[in-house]
Amino acid sequence: MRIELLGVPRQRAGIAELDIEADTLGQLLIALVARFPSLDDLICVDRLKPFVIANLNGDKFVTDPCTRLTKTDSVLILSSDAGG
Amino acid sequence: MENVVPSGYHGHYLRIDVSSGCADRVPLAEKVLRQFIGGSGLGAWLLLKESTSWSDPLDADAPLIFVFSPLVGSPLTTSAKFAVVSQSPLTDRINDSLASSGFALAGKRCGCDAIVIVGRAEKLSTLVIDNGKVRLDTAEDLRGISCAITEQTLRTQLGPSYQIASIGPAGEQLVRYATISHAGRHAGRGGSGTVLSSKNLKAIAVRGTQYLDWAHPRELTERSRQLSERSFGPATAKYRELGTASNLLTFNRFGALPTRNFQTGTFDEASKISPEEIRTTHSRTRSSCVACTIGCEHIYALENDSGVRLEYESLFALGSLCGISDADIILRASKLCDDLGIDTISVGGTIAFAMECVERGWLNEPWLTFGNGEAMLRAIELIGRREGVGDLLAEGSRRAAETIGHESIAFAPQVKGLEIPGYEPRALQTMALGFAVGARGADHNRSGAYEADFSDNVDRRNVTVDSVRHAIDTEDKAALMDSLILCKFLRGVFEDFYGETAEMLHLVTGWNTSASELRQTAKRIVHAKRQFNLLAGWTPAEDTLPERFLQSSLPNDPAAALSREQLSAVVTEYHRQRGW
Repeated sequence: MRIELLGVPRQRAGIAELDIEADTLGQLLIALVARFPSLDDLICVDRLKPFVIANLNGDKFVTDPCTRLTKTDSVLILSSDAGG
Repeated sequence: MENVVPSGYHGHYLRIDVSSGCADRVPLAEKVLRQFIGGSGLGAWLLLKESTSWSDPLDADAPLIFVFSPLVGSPLTTSAKFAVVSQSPLTDRINDSLASSGFALAGKRCGCDAIVIVGRAEKLSTLVIDNGKVRLDTAEDLRGISCAITEQTLRTQLGPSYQIASIGPAGEQLVRYATISHAGRHAGRGGSGTVLSSKNLKAIAVRGTQYLDWAHPRELTERSRQLSERSFGPATAKYRELGTASNLLTFNRFGALPTRNFQTGTFDEASKISPEEIRTTHSRTRSSCVACTIGCEHIYALENDSGVRLEYESLFALGSLCGISDADIILRASKLCDDLGIDTISVGGTIAFAMECVERGWLNEPWLTFGNGEAMLRAIELIGRREGVGDLLAEGSRRAAETIGHESIAFAPQVKGLEIPGYEPRALQTMALGFAVGARGADHNRSGAYEADFSDNVDRRNVTVDSVRHAIDTEDKAALMDSLILCKFLRGVFEDFYGETAEMLHLVTGWNTSASELRQTAKRIVHAKRQFNLLAGWTPAEDTLPERFLQSSLPNDPAAALSREQLSAVVTEYHRQRGW
């Protein structure tokens, strides 16, 4: 599935998009930190810390690591603090 | 009976009539201080107390109030802030705008918890407050001078121990959204600078030596150290690493980036003006306010200039909202607004509105078109001088729409007259509610309802009555932070917001403040603002959005639709839950 990184996660990882295969959000996060250790203070093992959030396909925000993902999903990882 | 003064307070405010030059120290009862704390809260109370009429915010008798807080001068990070409270010349409703840094510290050391200014000086003047003693110096030599040069000149003339807040040329011209500037930051929204100008004041200079004790200094120092440590962590990483401008690409991805006067929520050329792109072409430095450990200011270099601070709100308002994709133009426009002393959100919103009127053939200024950066710069300059079409646009989009007619009010991007910040209401509908009910109009600093939209608590494109409690919660928290005063960029570091802030207030003042007391205090402050608005003529019909947002969905996102019935239902529920 397609992963899009925005804000601090993008800054830390140094790329905007990548592909990762995972069945759940928790698995995806573990794979993401394994690939980008600089994200480890935003993600706690398989969970997002409160200042980061995930979104499916630009529609629904999700935090539950058990959230099921499909191959056609686009998962966005971004700073949850949207204030300006 | 002697007035009991809690630690952290002086226990009175300074009331200055600049018509006569007289100043009085007016006691503040402990009960009032505990009920309204400081900043926006105490300012709202003082505005209610000091206002004698509500017809003209620029009347000589209309008060302009600078308010400090018990936390100012403490070691708590981000606490060096002050609020400016008045009736807004843009909205005719209450306006509280905040700014940071040395002015707050020096102002409080003058020996007062607030400065209330009434009257009108005979000629353009600087109000000098030296340790509580007041005088008026002529400022005729500063007429037409930018905010930064005014500040620099006055510090040279008066001495470096003074801290200066000033208006720029736009304030002098009574542009209705002029700012009060200090150290490169602005009490920016709603026209505080316009009100200062109506007093014939170019600047206020303060210095003082009246330090205050804290009730529990050792514990406060330890608590401050812990808070500073947490403020270096991931909860504030966004502000430190990228600045608020990082919102741009995120909002664009979600169709929430206001573009071409809110005609759409995506900007095809967003990447060209993103901070990620700008820093490849402009060198960047970071800075922070006095007594702040976050350091959110990202300052970009400009050719032949010292540089300009760029926030998301300026980036969207002078960028996508006007269809501008040239980063250099946006930086120059932002710098121009800083120099003129003008609110970037209102100037961008009003110019974008004018561009759409030109597009529709309702305004005969054919040069003023979306995407034309030089035209935008020219429009800002004309507004700052109130020349040509600038005289009309200096009135803000609501008043301009009333003059232009053709039902252009339907797409004037404002609520209660205050231009809408960079959050597309159809894509972020809890925020749409926050905008509609805001006491000072559409505002992202008094309602953080977008937090709910960027969470799994609500459906951001389908607001329901369940969203109301989230909007109220963020509005209450903002009211408390603006009264304590602490920077909102700290909010992510608190695990128990009310409990932790109650402890801080206890350590400074000695009050046995509880979390539940502060929850009630926050609500009391929101009510006080509404009370002022009621006296100024507010009606429930004002709590709405422009027709544009209620008539059609976003062009690229049919799900982003907000009906009149939906908005009406949540506004009604908001009023019910507030007990109004």
